Amino acid sequence: MSLFRKRDPSERVKPQNLDETGILDLPYLVLTILLACIGVLMMFSASYAKAYYDTGNSAYYFVRQVWFAAGGIAVTIIIGRLNYFIWHRLSLLILGAAILLLAMVLIPGVGVTHNGATRWLRIGIEFQPSEIAKLAVILTFASFMSVFQDRMGTFTYGVLPYVLILGVVAGLLVLQKHLSATLIICLIGAFMMMIGGTRWPWFVVLGVVFGIFLLIYLSSRGYAGGRVTAWKNPESDPRGAGYQIIQSKYAISSGGLLGLGFGKSHQKYLYLPEAQNDYIFAIVCEELGLIGASVVMLLFIFLILRGYWIAIHARDRFGTLIAAGFSTKLAIQVFFNIGVVTNFLPATGISLPFFSYGGTALLLQMFEMGIVLSVSRWCTNKQAIGRRKA
Amino acid sequence: MGKRSKIKIVRPSKRPAYDRKKATNGVMLRTTITMILCGVLIFIPLFVQLFRLMIPQHDENVSRAIRNQTRMTSVPANRGTIYDRNMKVLASSTTVETVFIDPLEIQNSEQNLDLIANGLAQILDVDPNMIREKAAKVGRRYEVIAAKQEWDVAEQVRTFITDNELRGIHLEPDSKRHYATPATAAQVIGFTNAENKGAEGLEAYYDKTLQGTPGAVITIKGNYETEMPDSTEKLYEAQDGSSLVLTIDEQVQRVLQKNLQAAIEKYSIQHGGFAIMMDVNTGEILGMAIEGSYDPNNYLEITDLHDLEELDEISKAMDEVAPDSDEYKALIDQYNKAVAADRLRMWRNRCVSDGYEPGSTFKTITLAGALDSGAVDLNTTFYCAGEKNYPGREATLHCWKPEGHHAENTAQALQNSCNIAFADIGLKMGGETLYSYVDAFGLLEKTGIDMQGEALGVFHPKDEFVKNAQLTTIAFGQSVKPTPIQMVRAIAAVVNGGYLLKPYVVSEVLDGNGNVVQKNSRTVIRQVISNETSELMCNLIESVVTEGTGGNAKLTGYRVGGKTGSSEKLDVYDENGNQTDDLIVSFVGIVPMDSPKYICLVALDTPKKGTGFHVSGGVMAAPVVRDIFADTLLYLGLQPDYTDVDMRTVNVQMPDVRDLTENEASEKLAAESLTYLKVGTGETVTGTIPAQGEMLPGNSKVILYMGEPVPTDKVTVPDLSNLTLAQANAVLTNSGLYVQTKGSSLYYAVITDQDYEPGTEVPRGTTVTVELTDTTALD
Repeated sequence: MSLFRKRDPSERVKPQNLDETGILDLPYLVLTILLACIGVLMMFSASYAKAYYDTGNSAYYFVRQVWFAAGGIAVTIIIGRLNYFIWHRLSLLILGAAILLLAMVLIPGVGVTHNGATRWLRIGIEFQPSEIAKLAVILTFASFMSVFQDRMGTFTYGVLPYVLILGVVAGLLVLQKHLSATLIICLIGAFMMMIGGTRWPWFVVLGVVFGIFLLIYLSSRGYAGGRVTAWKNPESDPRGAGYQIIQSKYAISSGGLLGLGFGKSHQKYLYLPEAQNDYIFAIVCEELGLIGASVVMLLFIFLILRGYWIAIHARDRFGTLIAAGFSTKLAIQVFFNIGVVTNFLPATGISLPFFSYGGTALLLQMFEMGIVLSVSRWCTNKQAIGRRKA
Repeated sequence: MGKRSKIKIVRPSKRPAYDRKKATNGVMLRTTITMILCGVLIFIPLFVQLFRLMIPQHDENVSRAIRNQTRMTSVPANRGTIYDRNMKVLASSTTVETVFIDPLEIQNSEQNLDLIANGLAQILDVDPNMIREKAAKVGRRYEVIAAKQEWDVAEQVRTFITDNELRGIHLEPDSKRHYATPATAAQVIGFTNAENKGAEGLEAYYDKTLQGTPGAVITIKGNYETEMPDSTEKLYEAQDGSSLVLTIDEQVQRVLQKNLQAAIEKYSIQHGGFAIMMDVNTGEILGMAIEGSYDPNNYLEITDLHDLEELDEISKAMDEVAPDSDEYKALIDQYNKAVAADRLRMWRNRCVSDGYEPGSTFKTITLAGALDSGAVDLNTTFYCAGEKNYPGREATLHCWKPEGHHAENTAQALQNSCNIAFADIGLKMGGETLYSYVDAFGLLEKTGIDMQGEALGVFHPKDEFVKNAQLTTIAFGQSVKPTPIQMVRAIAAVVNGGYLLKPYVVSEVLDGNGNVVQKNSRTVIRQVISNETSELMCNLIESVVTEGTGGNAKLTGYRVGGKTGSSEKLDVYDENGNQTDDLIVSFVGIVPMDSPKYICLVALDTPKKGTGFHVSGGVMAAPVVRDIFADTLLYLGLQPDYTDVDMRTVNVQMPDVRDLTENEASEKLAAESLTYLKVGTGETVTGTIPAQGEMLPGNSKVILYMGEPVPTDKVTVPDLSNLTLAQANAVLTNSGLYVQTKGSSLYYAVITDQDYEPGTEVPRGTTVTVELTDTTALD
């Protein structure tokens, strides 16, 4: 594998001339920090009642999250300052670590269980290895695709490595019964393969294979059928499977055009389960109204579009692929979360980036934003751009 | 920044470890496509969905959300009380509490489930595993652990919750119905189900009246009773249910039940029986008893011994087959079906819901119609040769007395309950007239009694009435099947001057404060026969008891009238599909005949044959009516009239004549219609047999001891069964005992029962009461 081929030691120094780099992309940085701030504020509001009920301290969740948010902003800027080339080097290592961590979750007694699902690990802090796996897949795919960019049309270099990686990662996630993460990772992978240049017919083949697998998986797991029923008709089981969906709908509709006002949600008073987590967007809608919710969504959209803009203007293919990968990941996460919260999609446990409670997830999100920002530094340098154009 | 200058040295021409080439146009294009897809297109449906939820569906969902955030705790209204006519409580409600858990709350609060399960299980006496199972249910908010707990248990639960600072265990008020014990008029009053809704009887019929309007506390609050910035609370008071005052007299009802039970035991009645007592002039039901009955406090429990035996047989059969076999399943099915059927049967008020075969008691209706229409009069004569053929009727008509009643007038025809005479009466009337009287007596319509589940009886249609075959049969009371309540009110109309009444069981409805909000009273539907015919019928009906088949209903001091009836049950088939010869025997008694006040119908369903009693209404049902009258009439304020009565049949009290001279004693005894025999030669009475204060028949001879010691030896009560009164008197006088009688006064009546068992040792001068039965009363 050429990735590990012996290289001239002189090649090991950082390849790019930092003179060519500009500052971090300001719109992307501002959007990131803005969303992080709005996110943590809304999380405070949404978790207010739940925190009081659980601990007697309304700010319990907020205090924890706000430090991660502050740390996250720092991480974004620091990572943004780094040369993203190191992620090319570390990608396989990160993938290896991610696979190891995913496997550890499966060891009885090691994995941490919340709400009946064993998807967490506690090593100092608590986190979901699946989040690291998403990061690892994006980085590894980008590495392979930039290395094999001329051979993407072949099966051996354009299909096989990615299918193998996805196979292992998705397999481990399936063992965790983590359907949403499996789906998201496969979607991200597919988009990256498309951008990277895998031939179209393979998508048909892989799509069929994945479809069959999904069918078998869903039919073997009875609960998925119940979710679909609850999705189509939540009123059929208003106290059971449909409960969360109905409560979420009440929250969103209560918002109306202008919302009840920040902090004035009723549904967060323990009616809407996971109001501070997966369903936080419903509280955003209830408090900020259609206008506020649209603004939040537009902020996400601008961030995603700017991410793709950075990808398109990236200096090299690796930069393009990681920026596009993280943007795609963000888009898919936001789409699935809001889709579920508005009952446009059947319920799966996907958190809303920047908003949902969870320190490590926020930190990791900010970390990813930092990587995109580090790619952006080559787009913002007019001099460099000009030279490349010339 | 020194670092920077260092890196400056690196020549940009060096190839990186990966291809540093700017991405190709293809990559750019595909990235752009992805951008449009992931950055724009996928968000469009989300905006649409958001808009739909937040603008067009806003109002609808907001009102639902408010309902969702609004907690309505219902404040149960107290269910009204059911009183008897003397305001004795027959059914009342008390407040209890239901303990339930909120599994979601318990799961969310991550509490010690063992503590909750074991603690609650101990207080409530339930299985802790049941609590664990219910607490583990996903997405549930309400799981009942123990319903309807009394206050002290609820207090223990509250203490348990506060002591351990538990969440997710709640109590809510509920009410529990208590019924008089022993069960009184169970099928009339019915019962409420677990949801406090009337399920049977008056509880169901008057459910709306009794239940009241529940109040509510409406609060806008966060879930789990958390306070919200906009929390409010509003209270709407509950309106208590109204109470019912029944026409039923608890005392009378108990008497009906007691005597019915006794008869069922004595005559080995297979399918229970029923008794109705009604005021003939107002239609008030004083009592309505159905046996085998049940306890409304425990309405699922089957108490009928017959049914229990059957169920026991099935469970024994289950023990013998493998628990998973098909046979076992079939047996379980059979068992459950049998239980369901038994329950429905014991809850059923057959006095209003089912027809029965009135047999010859129906002859009163035929005769009343015949006299009223002028088809016959008292001088009409009939001849009964034991059997007779009628044109249009294939089968020969047999009278119940094979040797026949020979020549008889109208009164005798009724006294003899002669089938042939009544077939003749039917022919004289004609089918249309008989039908019109059956209709006028309300037998083809519901009585309108305020009771749950009243049904219509079964009668031939009018075009069958006019055919001789049916007419001759209907006229003497076969092939008809009115409901007992229809029959009672029809015969009441025969004797009360001819007025068909609407019977009723609730006399007053009282609101929560005890004010009368509704009052029921005598409702005349129509006059069926003239006052004169009614008076005539009273005389004839009384003569059935004084001279005819109803002799066993005779009650000293009262003018009792009545009519016997025995009929084969229609539509009852054995396993082979053949009609069985099961009989239902009945007696309708009316008292007093000079001015009828009360009517009492007693029917016994399927007496066992060959128990020593002739299966007939005269032998079995008439004594029950007599005993019911004996036990209730004085209580109801009807004083016995002993003029023109043989004092022998009335008990008097032995006066205290000790230390009196013979003359003084003699005077005192004469006042009680007693004579005496003197033993000894002392100046004053030193002792008597019987002792002072004892009851003995009037006209008896007592023994006065004048100085002589009173013998204290005991005598043995002899077996008096099947002796006539004259024979019994002879036997007992020899033993130094007195005999008092009840029942038939006919000289050929025989003793069928005695209050002291044969062989009992009693003091001299004791009065033995015997029951005289006219065993020839075969109808």
